[in-house]
Formats: sequence, C-alpha cells, structure tokens
Amino acid sequence: MKLPIYSQKLLNIEKRTQRFMLGALGLMLLVLLMIGMKQDYFSRSTSVYFFTSNAQGLSKGMAVKFVGFKVGSVQEISMEPNATVRVRVSLNDEYLHLIGQDAKARLIKEALVGESVVEIIPGSTQVHQVTQDSVLEFERGQDAGAVMESLASQLQPILNDMRQFTATINKPDGDVQQTLKNLNQVTAATREMVDQLTRLGVSGNQKLDGVYLKLDQALDHANSSLGTLGKAIPQLVEKTDATLANVQEVTNIIKQVSQNSAGGIPLLVDNVNTLVQEGQETLDSVQKSWPLNRMLPKIEEQMLPVDGYVAPEKP
Amino acid sequence: MSHRCSVWMLLSSVVLLAACGHVQEPRSVRLVQAAEFNQRAQHAFRQGQYQRAVTLYGQALQLDIAIEYVDGIAINTLNLAKVNQVSGKTAQAEQLLDQLLNDQALHYAPMHLAEAAVQKALLRLQEKDAVAAAIWAGKAADWCGPDCKLSGVIANVRAGIALRMNDGEQALFWSDRALAANRDVPLEQANALRLQASARLMMNAPGDALRLAQAALNIDKSLGLPEKIHQDLLLLAQAHERLGQDEQAGQFRQRAARIAAASVK
Repeated sequence: MKLPIYSQKLLNIEKRTQRFMLGALGLMLLVLLMIGMKQDYFSRSTSVYFFTSNAQGLSKGMAVKFVGFKVGSVQEISMEPNATVRVRVSLNDEYLHLIGQDAKARLIKEALVGESVVEIIPGSTQVHQVTQDSVLEFERGQDAGAVMESLASQLQPILNDMRQFTATINKPDGDVQQTLKNLNQVTAATREMVDQLTRLGVSGNQKLDGVYLKLDQALDHANSSLGTLGKAIPQLVEKTDATLANVQEVTNIIKQVSQNSAGGIPLLVDNVNTLVQEGQETLDSVQKSWPLNRMLPKIEEQMLPVDGYVAPEKP
Repeated sequence: MSHRCSVWMLLSSVVLLAACGHVQEPRSVRLVQAAEFNQRAQHAFRQGQYQRAVTLYGQALQLDIAIEYVDGIAINTLNLAKVNQVSGKTAQAEQLLDQLLNDQALHYAPMHLAEAAVQKALLRLQEKDAVAAAIWAGKAADWCGPDCKLSGVIANVRAGIALRMNDGEQALFWSDRALAANRDVPLEQANALRLQASARLMMNAPGDALRLAQAALNIDKSLGLPEKIHQDLLLLAQAHERLGQDEQAGQFRQRAARIAAASVK
C-alpha cells in the first residue's frame, strides 16, 4: 500500500527536476545566444589586420567603429618576430563595401574620458573594398591628455603675464603706487587748505593769497601726478585687454573640450580650469579695485577708421 | 586776488571734486559683451586676421540688434563693411552699407550715415563708377555738415573722383581742402599729398608731383603702410619719367616691385 504512494512521489520529484533542468538549460542557451549575438558570432565577418609599433591602448574585444557605428571588434593582438604588434580585427560583412583598401585604422578616445576605440577612417570607395586578411594602415589619434597639456602650456604664459601685471600695479616704488601716494598727499593738503580758508574767511586778503599760492602748487603737483598715471595706465590697460582676450579664447576651447566629455573631468582639465579661474579672478579683482575701477576706460564699441583713398590701377 | 574770486575758486574746486566722485551708470551685461566682441574684433583686424574680425564683429552686431542698441548696430555694420572691403569682398561690403542706408525702421546718427555714404562712395570709385561715387560723396557731405571730423576724408574722396574723371584742377582743389582739414590725421594727410601729386602729374607739373609724392612717402613709411608706400614709389617713378630721369624712374619702379612682391597688406 505504501510503495505505490512512495513511487508516485518519486515520479513527481523526477518530473519537477526534469522541468527545472530544462528551464536552466533553456536559460543557459538563451544567455549563450545573447553572448553570441553580442560578440557577433552569428554575423558573417571578415578579418583584417593592422600593424603597430606598440600595443599600448589596444585590447582584445575593443570596439571597431566606422562613422560612429560599431562595425566590428579587435579579435587578437600578437607580437611578431620583428617585435611589431599585429592586430586582427573582424569587420561585419554588412559594412565591408564601404571600407576601401586605402582606409586607415586609428586608435582614438571617444570622449575626453570615454573608452578607446579603433576608428576606421574611410578610404576612397573607388578603390577595391577590403577583403579577408587585408592590411590597413594604422595611426594613433591625439591623446586627450596631450591636448590638455598643450592647453595648459598655452595658459601658463598668459597667467604669468597677469601675475606680472598685478605685481606692476602693486609695486610700492612703481609709477601707479607712487602717483597714488602723491595724490593722497595732495588731497590731504587741499583739505587742510580748505579748512584754513574757512577759518581765515574774514581775516584779510593777504593771508588768503598765501594759502591760494599753496593751493595752486598742490594742484600743480596733482596735475603732474595725474600725467604720470595717465602714461602708466594705458600700457597696463593694453596688456590687460590682450591677456583677457587670450584667456577668453583658451577658456572657450576648454569649454568645448569639456562639453564633449560625457563623464567626470580628469585631473588635467580640472587643473586647467583652476588655472583659468585663478587668472580670471586675478583680473577681475584688479579691474574692480580702487582706483583702477575709475581709471580703466569704459569699454565702448569703436569704429574702424575710414581710409579716403582708392588706388588707381596705374598711378 | 579778491575775496570774491577766492570764494569762486573754492566753489569751483568743490564742484570739480564732486564730479570726480561721480559713479558710472551700470551698463547691461549684453552691452558690455558686445563692446568686448567689438574690441576683440578691432584687435583681430589690426593683426590682419580678417576672417576672425568678421566673426567677432558679427557677434557684436547680433548682441546690439538683440538689445536694439542703434549706435552699436551702425558701428558694427560699418566695421563689417570695412573688413569685407579690405578683404576684397566688395559685394558683401556694399550690401551691408545698403542695409544701413536704406533702413526705414531705425534712425541712425547722421555721423554714422555720413560714414556709410563715404564708404559707399569709395566702393563705387573702386568699381570705376565715378558718377555714383560723386552722388554718395555729396550725400556724405550733407549728413556730415560743415565741421564734422569726416570732412577731410570726404574731400579726399572727391579729389579721387575728380582724378578718375581726368579733372586735374578739381582734384587739386579738393586735395588742397583735404590737406587743410587733415593736419592732425597723418593717414588722410598722406592721402591728400598723394592725390595732389597725381593731380600735378595730370597737369604736367612733375617737379611739384615729385615733392608731394616724397612727402606722402615719408608719412606712409612712418605709418608702415605697404600698399601706400607702393603707390608713392610708383608716383615718384612716373614723375622722374616725365622729367626725363629714366634711371631714377627705374630705381623707384624696382623698389615698388619689391614691396609688391612682399605682398603684406
């Protein structure tokens, strides 16, 4: 009586196990299918090669792109007997007709912090398309780090200019500081004389004449000081203008580069941005500080001069 | 010094000091931005980077249009026309000037209209259309008025038109007026001298032409203007030729050819 019940239970377990195993197998096949599809095992592909002096930046499985579309992947990287590196790339046959024998492979970074890919630079479509075992020319695109280093090196002299400019203004024995000191003295002297004038208001013209003589001298002094400042300021202003224009230009380039990078900003960009910010802050504070905020000319739109001469063909 | 006079002086000083303490009115960010573009364009133009100057003046103009800053619109349109003219794009230059001269919606300052008309006259002259050039020079003079800063330039343009019409006497008349009006503008002074030299040559006075062209050459060298120096040397060569001094004429032509070969604008 008990045996048939036991056998029935055993049968049920067996069936369940079978179902579970089949499910697991199906799942495994599905996963394998997906991996295969991802790895292009089911699409027909053609292998081509390129050679490079070193394998830096290249890795197996790396995507190969053509006009922004993935058209294949790096299959194999091996060293040749002559110490060159041979890279085998499989290209999807679907796109093969677009890639000429004179196409080039270039190692690039998709964005500033993106992953490296091998980009196929299309050759002439007039030339025969690549075939199995064709060899492409290889080149390395400019590394983002190198670009940023070049930007940073361009910025450095500009910032040095600005530091020099600020130092010139702050130099205690420089024209600007000296003139400001003189002006302060003159202001104090004038204030003192105005006080004396008020006190002497009714005590006779003789004393007043003496005071006015002093006032005249003080004003002369002020005029000469302003003259010196007038000579010193335009040079500084010209330098600031040129420097500001340069900084803005480089900032624009950096902004453009930064926008292209989707992810975080690498250390170099960060450094360059800090440099730019530092520079702009220095300039801003110089421009806002008294008395330069009053002395720097207001930027106005200007007209190019007209030249009233037209050259005859044969003078 | 009387007591009253002293009090006046004191009051004047106080007023002057108060004026020094005047705080500038804040300007809109876009206006400042437009001015910055304009300044960068001026810089690019001076460096001979005409394409860059066109871009920057264009940006300044867009901002001026956006905030309807009429003076800025006029200034940057005129500048764009000038850069186009210098870089040989005369059709574009003329189109820009026409936009300004035919604008019915905005009212530009007469000075800016005068400047546009002068540029138009120069372009017409360059295209050998002396009649149209004369009409535009007349309009420029009307907008300019008797004592405006462009009167010297207009006189030079009129002298150039007279030369194109082979009227030496009129050319001399206008270039004399230009010279008188341009005492403190070396560029136009040299232009007037060069035009006088051409007029003198036309009137068969090569000796005078020689002297005038030499004076123009001195100024142009001090200004560092290769095209003008080239013109002066060619004029000097012509004057020497008329005087029968072929050897000197040859030397001047050779000097002019070297400058042309350097082809620096």
